[in-house]
Amino acid sequence: MDFEGKTAIVTGAARGIGRGIALELARRGSNVIIADIDEEPAREVVAEIQAGGTGANYCETDVTQQWSTDDMVEAALEGYGQLDVLVNNAGVGGAPGFATRKTPNIDDWQATFDVNVYGIVNGIQSVEKYMTDRGYGKIVNIASVAGRLGRPGFASYGASKAAAINVSQAWAFKLAPHGINVNAVCPGLIWTPLWQSIGEWRSSMDEQHAGMTPRQVFERAVSDAVPLGREQTPEDVGNAVAFLASDRARSITGQALNVDGGIRMN
Amino acid sequence: MKLTGKVAVVTGGATGIGRVIALKLADRGAAIMIADINEEAAAVTAAEIEEISGRSATFTTDVTDVETCRELAAATVDTLGPADFLINNAGIAGAPGWQERSFSTEEDWKRTYQVNVIGMSNVTSAFRPQMTERRSGRIVNIASIAGREGRPAIPHYSASKAAVISLTQATALELARFNITVNAICPGLLWTPMWEQVGDRYARDNPAYKGMTARQVFDAMIEERIPMKKEQTPEDVADTVAFFISDDAKNITGQALNVDGGFFMR
Repeated sequence: MDFEGKTAIVTGAARGIGRGIALELARRGSNVIIADIDEEPAREVVAEIQAGGTGANYCETDVTQQWSTDDMVEAALEGYGQLDVLVNNAGVGGAPGFATRKTPNIDDWQATFDVNVYGIVNGIQSVEKYMTDRGYGKIVNIASVAGRLGRPGFASYGASKAAAINVSQAWAFKLAPHGINVNAVCPGLIWTPLWQSIGEWRSSMDEQHAGMTPRQVFERAVSDAVPLGREQTPEDVGNAVAFLASDRARSITGQALNVDGGIRMN
Repeated sequence: MKLTGKVAVVTGGATGIGRVIALKLADRGAAIMIADINEEAAAVTAAEIEEISGRSATFTTDVTDVETCRELAAATVDTLGPADFLINNAGIAGAPGWQERSFSTEEDWKRTYQVNVIGMSNVTSAFRPQMTERRSGRIVNIASIAGREGRPAIPHYSASKAAVISLTQATALELARFNITVNAICPGLLWTPMWEQVGDRYARDNPAYKGMTARQVFDAMIEERIPMKKEQTPEDVADTVAFFISDDAKNITGQALNVDGGFFMR
């Protein structure tokens, strides 16, 4: 058990990929702070983890606010006395209603940047002093295969995820001499609330997908794009995060690992 | 993950990084086929493995010989069973005497390409039928950060390792439909017999390292180039191999992961 006695924060852990990451870390022995803006589903993840026998707490967190990520770190230290792992997973596809717009508007650009990029920066800035003083820490940022190559459609989302990879490299470099590893994971096609919105968007905007349900749009994307021929899961991402956040990956930093069945090969 | 009942083939598994990979997988219960050109050293490592997992075999293998590679694949089935994992680790830095030369010769180019690239393709082709037939398999190719960027010091080696990354992607795409994943690892700076020779060459040819011992050159490189300020170890590489062959990485393919303390971030 790589994470026995350790404590991790996972932002955006109430659902989707973040929930998968939280559960995988907990399964390996970690206490987990479920940091999310949405209390009700977050409480369910807390209960699920506690039932498995490790510690879990909900911390209401808005990653776009530095004071809020500061509170989140405070909650981890108060609750468990130490913080070993920070997973910056919280992300959005755009501003509310983004799936109803043909192209992203200024609000979408702003929202993706605020959460997907600046949210990571806030998270790191809230832990870096603590981890540097301690000379130990693991940070994993959730980017996306969308950040590997610019594509039309939701260019704002892709751009924000490319920035997330760049931010990971910047802090990997900065924190490396202090025994802190910073890496990114780029998930591929995962059936989450975000993908549900993308599916709705494509079926309403794109002739090729007219009349399809979001799930059908998703399945077509999987068969078109994934060499391994199957969708990826939140557990897959959780497993990759668990590796990168473990001491087995002690010499890996500044890397972005695609968990995408071979969609992109960098 | 426990690997009991699984069979792993490690080329170049008798010494250096390959040996440590073999011991790591044996430690998790796998039976190991040591495929190495050095018969004597292979026997020593196999004896070590016998004490750990109880099951090992050796096959004297020149990876540049297609027929021998086929015999290796057949011998693996006969002695241990069909291969679940193939670790393509065998590699060289140049033709005999390369460390004495200041510039790569045609022989260095040919020999290095023959072993590091064509040899890898030979072994992969030989094991392909037993993996595709069972619709499962994991292949991990050992590349190098030298393959991430052309450098003047040993250009033939860098080019061969870039080719390994490319070969990994091609093989990953080819074998994805058979549920076989293929990934590469790019080790950074490891204090191995090869690096000792690289260090001597630098000390002789590069004014910046004039008069230093090989180890001093190595230490200076770490200080200059590795953000984590630490050398990497065969153990680091072996831990990453163990991740790629585990179920945790079942949806990761075609990737090249740097295990290099942040030397390269792409």
